[in-house]
Amino acid sequence: MRILDLAFKDLSQVLRDKMSLLFLIVMPVVFTFFMGLAFSGATRPTDPRLALGWANADGESRFSQQLYADLEASGSVRWVEVDPAEAEAAVRQGQVAGALVIPAGFGQAVFSPAPLQLTLIADQASTAGQSLYQIVQAAVARMFSAVEIARLDVTMLDAQNVLPDEAARAEERQAALEAALAEWTQTDRQRAWVRVESAVAQTDNGVPLGGNPFNQSSPGMLVQFAISGMIGAAGIVVQERKTRTLQRLITTAMKPWQIIAGHWLAMVTLVLGQTLLLVLFGQLVLDVNYFREPLGVLLVAVAFSLWIASMGLFIGVLAQGQEQVILFCLIAMFLFTSLGGAWFPLEVTGQVFSLIGHLTPGAWAMDGFQNILVRGLGLASVWQPVGVLVAYALLFFALAVWRFRVREA
Amino acid sequence: MTLAIEMQNLHKRFGDLHAVQGVSLTVQAGEILSLLGPNGAGKSTIISMLSGLLQPTEGDALVMGHSIRREPEAAKACLGVVPQDIALYPDLSARENLLFWGKMYGLRGAALKKRVDEVLEIIGLVDRQKGRVDKFSGGMKRRVNIAAALLHKPQVVIMDEPTVGIDPQSRRHILDNVKELNRQGMTVLYTTHYMEEAAELSDHIAIMDHGRVIAYGTHDELIRLVGEQTRIDLTLNVDAGRVLTAWQQVEGVSRASAQDGLVTVLVDDSNRVLPRLFEAATAAGARITGVDIREPNLEAVFLHLTGRALRD
Repeated sequence: MRILDLAFKDLSQVLRDKMSLLFLIVMPVVFTFFMGLAFSGATRPTDPRLALGWANADGESRFSQQLYADLEASGSVRWVEVDPAEAEAAVRQGQVAGALVIPAGFGQAVFSPAPLQLTLIADQASTAGQSLYQIVQAAVARMFSAVEIARLDVTMLDAQNVLPDEAARAEERQAALEAALAEWTQTDRQRAWVRVESAVAQTDNGVPLGGNPFNQSSPGMLVQFAISGMIGAAGIVVQERKTRTLQRLITTAMKPWQIIAGHWLAMVTLVLGQTLLLVLFGQLVLDVNYFREPLGVLLVAVAFSLWIASMGLFIGVLAQGQEQVILFCLIAMFLFTSLGGAWFPLEVTGQVFSLIGHLTPGAWAMDGFQNILVRGLGLASVWQPVGVLVAYALLFFALAVWRFRVREA
Repeated sequence: MTLAIEMQNLHKRFGDLHAVQGVSLTVQAGEILSLLGPNGAGKSTIISMLSGLLQPTEGDALVMGHSIRREPEAAKACLGVVPQDIALYPDLSARENLLFWGKMYGLRGAALKKRVDEVLEIIGLVDRQKGRVDKFSGGMKRRVNIAAALLHKPQVVIMDEPTVGIDPQSRRHILDNVKELNRQGMTVLYTTHYMEEAAELSDHIAIMDHGRVIAYGTHDELIRLVGEQTRIDLTLNVDAGRVLTAWQQVEGVSRASAQDGLVTVLVDDSNRVLPRLFEAATAAGARITGVDIREPNLEAVFLHLTGRALRD
């Protein structure tokens, strides 16, 4: 209960300060907008979906049409008709983020033991290329699973040959359904139905960000300004030390970890509130589709806020004064935001930079958001980033408590 | 009688500095014990150890029977600590501060509000309770600072120089509060370097210097240590060293020392000795420019024990 009381006191103090509201809300919104403009070249596309070339050499086959419809229905891509012979050029020229080539005879070969392979032409190092692969692979996997089910059903009917009455038909339908369900779970979703060919766009038309430049700037600024929230967390400890209230807290029956936990809870609430506000702003004003996977976004936001608060308190316990708080936090902010891909996608930086970047929690937060916003992935894709962020949060919370005990109590 | 505080050979070292050197003291429940000594004597270090801000390097202390080493939370729960510095949130009002600190001491709901009203009454700030603390005068802040330590009606109140740097009116108010709290049954451990406060408040006084207790007793017991001697402070128109030796030889002078241009002399009978001091000064070519005669007091005791005046 005292932990909650302490957190509530911290929050009421912060929210009374008009300057803190400027940093919490106004500045992140303004920076998000301007960074988005920078990525878009000052113009914002009206359609946030990835442009995918439809290079169909299979005519009007049942399966190519099904694939076309499924991918369009995903909401993540918009089709651009391209000549199969010019598909690669279209990608290189940046007219599309990728091109899906449907080979001639694809539809007819679907039921054969060796179906023809589809080809996705895209820049595999780019966020858009990786996203397209995930999106296309998922749609194709669904289609081929349905094919497997249908084939199994026909096989069973052929084997039984005679279905004398309606009751028998119902029973058969049930058996076929059970078998199909079993087969579905065994379907190899990783099977390479789609082959990827690499092609790097030589023009910069904003397409790599999933069609919406704010897909980078919105989570990027969200991460940056959340990290800047460390100043607030660290400042609380330093300010309390300066006003001697920290010492007074220690003279009460509160344990050191409870004091840290109270401040931590306040900062988690504050950073999470700021993050969710920016998510809403991104969703409602900038068409950044956070609501595609709201639970995933929430999990990443919570885990990230836990880490920010822990890191901030650790800095506060280490710092001798407000000047050191600002210095340490600025170093952390620039380090974690730049290496973490908040200013530019890590995909454009190369493997080594990306690897180093992923030593920082900022990169994992960006991964979590971008998996949903740009790569079109689902809830399962955020578990790893969330796990890493929570681990970082626990580590720095423990360090803050340890240091607090050594130094203050 | 019950022991409220029992210090057992407390030591505290900060690197090479041995700030507290084996202090063993007891405070009976319901009494006021003052720790009297100059800055750096170790008073605040003892307070910090008792209140959990510092760990003793050696030794232990019991607060209402709870060891500050083994049961720090239980010991702290019995304590109300008034720190030397103002320890309040400047951007919160007096009432908001008290409500918050009350919660930190485990009070809730109606009981908390009632108690806050009571302590505001005690410190005389009912009318100013909604004012922000950073707009208060130093004396008002000190009063709120004290009030915050009284919210949970602690059995023992520790006050670390609560009257430093405030106006006489607020000082009087605080001293009256301390006496009233004690009358209500609270045990008070009070540190000060003002001998008048120690003399007025205390049942017992422990005089400290350089981390040690150099004398302990009631006010009268301590005064008797200097044998009812009178203290005479003299200022000269020349360097004190010129007459100090001569004055030390004067009959009736038991001690003479100089500090910051002021010569302090302990004598048995000021009427008899003072003319001799003038004679000796004249003989040494010095002229006395100021004389201040003081009856025996705790300052004289400190001078007697240490050879130094009890001053900042």
